[in-house]
Amino acid sequence: MAATLPQAVLGLPPLAVSLGIFVATYAAIVTERINRSVVALLGAGLMVFSGVLNQREAFHGIDFNTISLLTGMMVIVSLTQKSGVFQYVAIKAAKLVRADPWGLLVMLTLVTAVFSALLDNVTTVLLIAPVVLLITDSLRINPYPFLFSVILASNIGGTATLVGDPPNIMIGSAAHLTFNDFLVHLAPVVAVVLAATLIPIYLVWGRKLSASAEDRALVMGFDERGSITDRRLLRQSLFVIALVIAGFVFAHPLGQEPGTLAMFGAALLLLLRVYDKDAETQSHLIHHTFGEVEWITLFFFIGLFVVVAGIEKAGALQWLAQRIVEWTGGDFAVTAYVILWVSALVSAVVDNIPFVATMIPVIQNLSGVFSPHEIQTLWWSLALGACLGGNGTLVGASANLVVAGLAERAGHPIRFVPFLVMAFPLMLMSIAITSVYLWLRYL
Amino acid sequence: MTLKTVPLLTETACVDPDTTLSDTLRQMLARQTNHIPVCSDGVWVGLVDIRAILGELLPVSARIEHGLPDLGFVGDGLSLLATHFRALKTRTVRELDLPALPTLREDTPILEAALMLYREGSPLPVLDPAGRLKGMLSRRSLLAHLAARLGDA
Repeated sequence: MAATLPQAVLGLPPLAVSLGIFVATYAAIVTERINRSVVALLGAGLMVFSGVLNQREAFHGIDFNTISLLTGMMVIVSLTQKSGVFQYVAIKAAKLVRADPWGLLVMLTLVTAVFSALLDNVTTVLLIAPVVLLITDSLRINPYPFLFSVILASNIGGTATLVGDPPNIMIGSAAHLTFNDFLVHLAPVVAVVLAATLIPIYLVWGRKLSASAEDRALVMGFDERGSITDRRLLRQSLFVIALVIAGFVFAHPLGQEPGTLAMFGAALLLLLRVYDKDAETQSHLIHHTFGEVEWITLFFFIGLFVVVAGIEKAGALQWLAQRIVEWTGGDFAVTAYVILWVSALVSAVVDNIPFVATMIPVIQNLSGVFSPHEIQTLWWSLALGACLGGNGTLVGASANLVVAGLAERAGHPIRFVPFLVMAFPLMLMSIAITSVYLWLRYL
Repeated sequence: MTLKTVPLLTETACVDPDTTLSDTLRQMLARQTNHIPVCSDGVWVGLVDIRAILGELLPVSARIEHGLPDLGFVGDGLSLLATHFRALKTRTVRELDLPALPTLREDTPILEAALMLYREGSPLPVLDPAGRLKGMLSRRSLLAHLAARLGDA
């Protein structure tokens, strides 16, 4: 089928139509009045009906590598969490520091960051936060500093790897950056940011935390092995996760993409779960597992990709890239910092996924101005800003809201302003650290 | 026939919303009942179930949605339970999230009352037009009344 030509649509230029659909879609997403996946799919449909795109172009705009990577990891995590391994690690970590409150905060922060680097942030905090609440309940200490640290650690840790946060998955897929690329270029600064973030937390809360020897003995009495509910599943999950991560590490020389590796891993784990079961049980297990995939998130991505493909085809993003070059005078360092800081500030208040989806073609359009090495630096700026910016406010990232919801139900509400007062400066500090890192390493 | 003809559990006394949970539990244990109505100046507020008080002894992290699926790793957790049990002395019924129970009237037809008891649980409050508690109707008390009235019919 011939590609749709950029002709007037309903008497209007395609650029105006596509921008209108784009703005309306994003505005509706921000207001959260209607479920975002519905909004994104409607926007995608309008891009096709209005003639900005045809169906082939719409499908071509969908990054199926991202979609399959997300789906595969969702299945793997959904199955793995049932083994109780996350609770095991959290309790073990608490006992390693002998339930000392400050040591506990540091360990739970580290555990959250590491899990978030390998799994999605929301699942990580859903699994860690209840353990945090139990341990702080047992120690009779205020859970707020711990929950606050878990929120920040989930976003910081997720910045470190290709699979840690959806923006990184999108960037990695579009820019052909590998799991190792993210590890080598982002993990070092993420480690520094995490360590630096703990300093103000210690000064504000950490040094005042204390628990009685009796209460600490209670926590030391926890048997972390009791949290493993399915040892067979644990072995199977760890095997598959190790295989998938090894696949990510060696993906480039193997000539494989992360999406395929993740989906294969998910299918393998499902096979291990069901091969010895009868057909009806197999069907039930698989149906249940697929039911736990976040289809809302996946369809949100699909719709978003099409909407962005629409404005890209209409030339809006090329125009934006040219304006950026004009505003920055084509200065590479200025461009890198603008992308870093704008990404962080925008991501602090709105969902970073639509922002990153829009910025990806913009950066791709800068390839005529900057060298491939410089373009890669811009990708790191975008990833760092978009991921770390989520720590700025309570609405900056989904994981923040999930923890806030849990905390509210547990009787320890995390309010927007108190969180902002502490978190926003920490976010700015993290972006300042990454600014220095960019300057030292790339600029 | 309406509930006017059915003997209600009128001996059940209400507790005030500011009654402590420990006093509420003591009354439940003394009366060997799993529920106690809550009234404010005689006006119906809700029903405290012994399950709600048991829940207050558990770590909140296990009770909330998306909370811990089990607590086997804690061990017997007696000291944890003891801490929460002592806290019942300072916490009141007002802090509980009482379920929204449907209410009955004295002029509610017996068939409708039976259906509500079947669907919504037992016991249910019977209120006067001013919303004041007349008594509680349980499945057992309704069935006992029907058995006495209808006999082997």
